[in-house]
Amino acid sequence: MMSDLNPALETFTQEVDELLTTMEDALLVLELTPDDVDCINSVFRAMHTIKGSAGLFGFDDVVAFTHEVETLLDKVRNSERQIDVELIAVLLACKDHTVQIIQHALSNENEPLPIALQQQSEALITQLTGSSPISKGMTSTQEKKTDHFVVDINSSDSCDNWIISLAFKQNALRNGMDPLSFIRYLQTLGKIIDVIVSMPTSLCMEELEPEDCFLNFKIAFSSAVDKKTIEEVFEFAEDDCDITILPPHSRQEHYLQLLEHFPEDQLKHLGEMLIEIGALTEKELDCVLREQRNEHKAIIKPVGEMLIAKNILQRPVIEQALIKQEAIKQKINKEANYIRVDAAKLGYLINLVGELVISDAAIRLMVEKHGLSDVNNVVGAMSHRVEEIRDTALQLRMVQIGETFTRFQRVVHDVSKELGKQIQLQITGGEAELDKTIVEKINDPLTHLVRNSLDHGIETPEERIQAGKPEKGIIQLNAYHDSGHIVIQISDDGKGIDSEKIVAKAISKGLLKPDQIVSQTDIYNLIFEPGLSTKEEASNLSGRGVGMDVVKRNIEALRGSVSVDSELGLGTTVTIYLPLTLAIIDGFMVEAQKERYIIPLNMVEECVEMSSTEWKIDHVQHYVNLRGQVLPYLRLGDFLHNNKKHQPTQRESLVVVRFGEEKAGFVVDELHGENQTVIKPLGMLFENLKGIGGATVLGSGDVALILDVQGLIQYAKKRVSPALALSMND
Amino acid sequence: MNPLIHKKDSKIELTTQDQLRQYLTFQMDNEHLAVSILDVKEIIEINTITHVPMTPTYIRGVINLRGNVVPIIDLSARLGRKDSEISKRSCIVLVQVDYKDEIHLLGMLVDAVEEILEIPESNIMPPPDFGGDIRTDFIQAMGRVGDEFIILLNINNVLSIKELSQLKQMADYEGSDHANRETGDIAAK
Amino acid sequence: MTAKVNDNGILQIAIHDEMTIYNAHSLKEMFLECCHSGTQELQVDLSAVTEIDSAGVQLLLLLKLEAQKHGFTLRLFRHSEAVIDVFELLKLSLYFGDPIVIHANWT
Repeated sequence: MMSDLNPALETFTQEVDELLTTMEDALLVLELTPDDVDCINSVFRAMHTIKGSAGLFGFDDVVAFTHEVETLLDKVRNSERQIDVELIAVLLACKDHTVQIIQHALSNENEPLPIALQQQSEALITQLTGSSPISKGMTSTQEKKTDHFVVDINSSDSCDNWIISLAFKQNALRNGMDPLSFIRYLQTLGKIIDVIVSMPTSLCMEELEPEDCFLNFKIAFSSAVDKKTIEEVFEFAEDDCDITILPPHSRQEHYLQLLEHFPEDQLKHLGEMLIEIGALTEKELDCVLREQRNEHKAIIKPVGEMLIAKNILQRPVIEQALIKQEAIKQKINKEANYIRVDAAKLGYLINLVGELVISDAAIRLMVEKHGLSDVNNVVGAMSHRVEEIRDTALQLRMVQIGETFTRFQRVVHDVSKELGKQIQLQITGGEAELDKTIVEKINDPLTHLVRNSLDHGIETPEERIQAGKPEKGIIQLNAYHDSGHIVIQISDDGKGIDSEKIVAKAISKGLLKPDQIVSQTDIYNLIFEPGLSTKEEASNLSGRGVGMDVVKRNIEALRGSVSVDSELGLGTTVTIYLPLTLAIIDGFMVEAQKERYIIPLNMVEECVEMSSTEWKIDHVQHYVNLRGQVLPYLRLGDFLHNNKKHQPTQRESLVVVRFGEEKAGFVVDELHGENQTVIKPLGMLFENLKGIGGATVLGSGDVALILDVQGLIQYAKKRVSPALALSMND
Repeated sequence: MNPLIHKKDSKIELTTQDQLRQYLTFQMDNEHLAVSILDVKEIIEINTITHVPMTPTYIRGVINLRGNVVPIIDLSARLGRKDSEISKRSCIVLVQVDYKDEIHLLGMLVDAVEEILEIPESNIMPPPDFGGDIRTDFIQAMGRVGDEFIILLNINNVLSIKELSQLKQMADYEGSDHANRETGDIAAK
Repeated sequence: MTAKVNDNGILQIAIHDEMTIYNAHSLKEMFLECCHSGTQELQVDLSAVTEIDSAGVQLLLLLKLEAQKHGFTLRLFRHSEAVIDVFELLKLSLYFGDPIVIHANWT
């Protein structure tokens, strides 16, 4: 047995010599040009081939070691690991070490590696990966399981061999074929484990035409080459021989794995899939397809069945391929249900729907004006449709926020490494939807806030342990819907905001007077003021004292708001409120001093009569006792037109609005009810205007302004009586 | 979203000599003024102007122009005169101004629109350094028509969005309690 | 090719030639004769086989088959290098069940 392995071993040593020389050359080139893809590939190829060949000879130690090197090189190939001078030095050492362990394997067949070499292996692997293998034994057993190119020649387990069946035709010998020569040639590609030669039992010497061929061979063959290469051995015999090549059991697993990761972008025929993974050769497929065509329609069999019947492939592979094919079919069908639409077209459609909504309002106005009661029903039905069209059109542009959130995984991963912190990002509520135009614009502010948490919020592991917290910090991104808004929260369990530091800073910057009394909330919200950053040394990530005010401005530009809450030592939560859409909303129209205003309907809690007989009203402090609840109010007309004298109408109404936790009342002259409000931007001119969120065109053609409830309340807190400001802070 | 804002490159530049010398004249506070016809998009009648609260008086309000909301600037108030009074002859001159690489439409409220004048190049004089009550950077040039001089306005300065949107924060409307705004909002709390 | 019957009724033949498709006909005739000779044991000396190809292998296999049918024993002996080579390749030694002597100097 040994002797007939000798030539193979000789080939192996020669091959290894060549490969390692190439590897060394390539490494030296890489030292100068680290980006040379060809060189990286040839280094990888060297290790990969040596591993494969070594496996064939059962040199487990060589396999284990080269496997590690190969894994690392694969990372380099996929740009997961940078190649640098240090790594090249290690790889050169690996090359030298490979020579040594192969020499050992060649001279001392079955003896384990001497301790020195073993230690060297481990040291090099540690240098490569930063971690040593759990144990040498583990690595090599795992190796056998996962890598199908490794065949143990000592094992007589025939199921792990290629099964090559050759049925020569009667004229084969006459045509100059000698089956033996093919089998001899096959030997150069691997090891023939067993051969079964058979011939028809009915044959007898007497009737034999000695130049006819009745020989059938079944060869158990062990080799690392692929199916196509084996097939090529018998290329010349093709016409005189029926050839089937059944892949070994381990190959089968390899094929199954390949099928598992088969690209799902295109639906392919079963045959094409099998060829692509190397389980089937084109010749085999052609042959089967030809046969299929020749068969009678009634008894036609699927290709898969034929492949199994003809012993070309095992059933599990075919079944797996069919499952995968079905999965691809379904995925493609699913994808076909989506249409890519130019966002500009969608925007145009939504604008048009907006115009339609306005026209609809104009028609209703006309119907009302002329008392066209018979038209009323038709118009009512149409209005209903228009509303549905509006909702559907807006829905088209709604996307889930999840994708935006997920992108931060990478940011958190990279930045925490950079800062030497351990941070985990938790995402909840990713399925909450909002308008794509808003999603695009919220990314920058969100990035800033997350980075802020990473940089200023979460402490270093040592600080955390000292504070009695888990070593690993947590940043949470959460989203949910609340009264027509989407709420996005960025929380961390870090050190929180030191309000004393902020106050000190604010005073030094002149933002606060030293004796001023401010609420905790107001202090936290100071971080959104320009020029305030509490970190003494700014990092390159977030803390330059610019940014938080920009974050606030960006969010407010989206008709949203942002607030912050914190507890020293426990963490910080930043809450962002954003409208779901920037296009069309349900509005509630009110009138004050002959001007009409729209309040977003989802912020309206209720409307009651503003009458002293019903509620106790404090006209000085501007609050009303609404069923025992103290509700601050503002006279919308007076507030918005405070330089005009105004006589209150007989019956005023109180519109109770809610924003988050806050409630307030707007006193208005008249209520005009709900309407669909197409939001028209007011443009750059009104960029700095607080309290007005936009405009809309009414059915009459007039423009009405949309109130930014929260902006108005905050503005009122600063402007109107201190009592209102105080009561609203409660 | 806003069809009122066009990218600059969509603007068609007309540069023939004839048009360069054409000016639209109009009345404002009993004075004759003119703007280059190239700046004028159209002249529209006054319909309802919706007042925008909490803005300085030179922002007269907004109108609906074919479905778009266009701000209206009271030219008289902007030039430091008294607020315009709307009469039968009042008009809105729709002009376009550049801001942040985009073209914005603005309406300019004037007392009456007069005519389109051709003023030869030779009759166009540089603005006087001082003397008038109109800021010199608002004046592009002086045009001589017969014996009279007409002020040719520099629309991009008169209706500078940058200035208009900044100024309104300090406007009289916001009152004295916001005089200390410069020191920050917190102080007002 | 020589044939002789020795004392205890064993038919012994020696092949002094190649066993290829070129002399397959004459080999077949000889094997056929042996089959019909009514012998109890056929011994085939392969020491002088210089070359053996598929046709030769086929004949040997068929001879084994015939032996089973006709109820005589087939013994192959003194395999030449060429024969051993092919038997090794096709793992045939086990099938024929004859001891193969490998020469010391054989590589």
